[in-house]
Amino acid sequence: MNASSPLPTDSDAFRTAVRDFLSEALTPELIRAGERTTSVFSDFEAGRQWQSILHQRGWGAPDWPLEYGGTGWDIQQRYIFQEECRQANAPTPVMMGIQMLGPMLMHFGTPNQKERFLPGIISGENVWCQGYSEPGSGSDLASLKTTADHDGDDFIVNGTKIWTSMAHYSDWIFCLVRTDKAVKPQAGISFLLVDMATPGITVKPFTSLDGEIEQCQVFFEDVRVPADNLLGQENQGWTVAKSLLEFERGGQHFTIDLKKQLSKIQRMMSTETCRVSGDPTFAYRVAETQIDVMALEQTELRIKGSLTAGDNPGALSSLVKVSGTELGQCCAELLIEAAGQSAIPWQSEVLAPSYSGSTAAASESVTTMAEYINSRATTIYGGTAEIQRSIIAKHVLGL
Amino acid sequence: MTEEQTMLWDTADRYLRDHTDFNQRRDQIAEAIYNQPEKWQAFAEMGWLAMPFPESLDGLNFGLREIAILAELCGQYLVTEPLIDALAVASTVLIRSEQAATLVPEVISGDLIAIAAIDEPTAGSRLSPSCTLSQTDSGWRLQGKKYWISAGASATHFAVLADSSNGLAWVLVAKNAAGLSCETFPTHDGKGGANCHFDLPVSDDQILLSGDAAAEALSAFRECAMILSSAETLGAAQAALDTTVDYTKQREQFGQPLASFQALQHRMANMLIQTELTRSLVYSACDAADHDSPDRGRFARAAKVKSAAVGRKVTQEAIQLHGGIATTDEYIVGHFFKRVTALETWVCSKGEALQEFIALDAKKVASANSASRH
Repeated sequence: MNASSPLPTDSDAFRTAVRDFLSEALTPELIRAGERTTSVFSDFEAGRQWQSILHQRGWGAPDWPLEYGGTGWDIQQRYIFQEECRQANAPTPVMMGIQMLGPMLMHFGTPNQKERFLPGIISGENVWCQGYSEPGSGSDLASLKTTADHDGDDFIVNGTKIWTSMAHYSDWIFCLVRTDKAVKPQAGISFLLVDMATPGITVKPFTSLDGEIEQCQVFFEDVRVPADNLLGQENQGWTVAKSLLEFERGGQHFTIDLKKQLSKIQRMMSTETCRVSGDPTFAYRVAETQIDVMALEQTELRIKGSLTAGDNPGALSSLVKVSGTELGQCCAELLIEAAGQSAIPWQSEVLAPSYSGSTAAASESVTTMAEYINSRATTIYGGTAEIQRSIIAKHVLGL
Repeated sequence: MTEEQTMLWDTADRYLRDHTDFNQRRDQIAEAIYNQPEKWQAFAEMGWLAMPFPESLDGLNFGLREIAILAELCGQYLVTEPLIDALAVASTVLIRSEQAATLVPEVISGDLIAIAAIDEPTAGSRLSPSCTLSQTDSGWRLQGKKYWISAGASATHFAVLADSSNGLAWVLVAKNAAGLSCETFPTHDGKGGANCHFDLPVSDDQILLSGDAAAEALSAFRECAMILSSAETLGAAQAALDTTVDYTKQREQFGQPLASFQALQHRMANMLIQTELTRSLVYSACDAADHDSPDRGRFARAAKVKSAAVGRKVTQEAIQLHGGIATTDEYIVGHFFKRVTALETWVCSKGEALQEFIALDAKKVASANSASRH
């Protein structure tokens, strides 16, 4: 298939077309990268390669509007695409540019900024990371202290950002910085686009509990950034960042992965050698989790339905985030229990997509322990479960 | 919701709001009034009793999705009339019988309130009764006990599940029939239950269904009851949450509203999350049944399991977040708690539903596996 071939619009035929493309485009190594993914991100190089393949097919950013290189698919089709990619074990590229920055650029960017940045994002050529949190500013993001001071036509940035996923691979960072200290915290924040190659930037990676490096701290010391790289108006950064929530709505489909995890648990339960096969107490817990996942799936569909009708799901996306991540943790727990001792080997080299040797862990449990360990981060990043509950309390219950 | 569903909701909501008075409900319970004919007549006039039936029987041909709207509102307004009890039996058992053409119009007019009598003092009786329907020299005879019949005190008739030489049977018995001794009693949710001893002759036209048809009706009845009890539980849980939110905004301690405390806010957020998740499953279970989806059985059981757990949790939390006031009979929130507790075990318990879910799921996995092998 080439980039210009039209796609069928009815959903079964659409699914088949996506499936055909995936079976043709996914190399064994890319699939292995997908299979051995233990967090939000797959192996970096595999993810980047996959993004480039998707881009060549015209599917680099299915959620974007057509004019910027999107697909023009409806919500149902985008859901099917995501589902098929997961089922086929496609790797997950670094998505901060496509999912987060792209929509903000389209909404707030100047024509020049859009032209300059969007093509590199969708092709995967430019990898972006997100500079929001700081050592002293986590859930209380508006208290951030990294400053950007005027100096001629430039800003001079000083400070530090933390939990910056994939900063060590990134070409660019989008940052919230303080441009006015005299006003209330939210009103003095601006949104800056910064080239990671600029002198004065250093990146310190953290080794996570799973032994891998995804998180970094980024230091800025007198970093000179052209004023052209300001996204939106000066001191409107909070508005720009908040609008992201609106772009994200309906974009999260936790149940695709949850259902995949549950099928794996059920597959394991049906093997005689599995520690939990025939354990009724385990079967009850799996069934209750399954029912919760069904409830979440129907909720996601209900939200999707209301989006189609033009309503704003608003804080319902917080509900989905809390339930989706907590259920993911629950599935990860069931998986380590099903795997039992067979998941104790700790060999990070086997997670590399190029690895094709034997593993000390049972083959179906190679990623299980790392996935469980990494699952603890899901209720912390992207707004903690506590922050999501506060959003629900404030915006849905009016407390 | 569709426009029709919204209209139905609005009309029913308005009627129940105007005709529900919490103190009057307490008086009625204190006086052990289990039937309010004028209310039931109003239900009939609004078409509620006609909802599940085909147009050929002068019904409105609505699906469970619409009936669930009424059930939800019954939960919200703590309706004591046996609406879901009567509709569940009529739409699954009476409708399947040869006598439907006579019986259904009486249901629709409000004259016939048939309540299912399925529980007996022995375990497993709901599916395999020890109550017997047997042939004697002088004709059919129904013998046995049915206990703890929810809303049994409001019935005009009982649809009795019995065992016969031909397998299961559903038998319709008038509450005032000779040979039926019926003891009624108040139940903790403000309704009236009944314990019945049957030892009476039965005519052919009282035998609604037997054999496979009776078994089929039993599973349809159970599925319908699971879904409607889930919907009513949902309505009660939502009302308990709403009451709690309102109360914590007003009640002040330490110089500020309870609602300003984060520890309480997050608990109320959890109540909302769980109630909304339940809502999705309840509506999907209705849709699955209405479209006769292959997954309808799983969805009904999922809704039952989820709503039972969430109804319990949310109403318990509602009491805790209110404090002492919620432990009194004169405050409404404890009555939601009591009603969802009654619904937990009505017709099918959470545990039974969960076991059946597992069995259905195993079947689904097996058939998916065999399909993928071929």
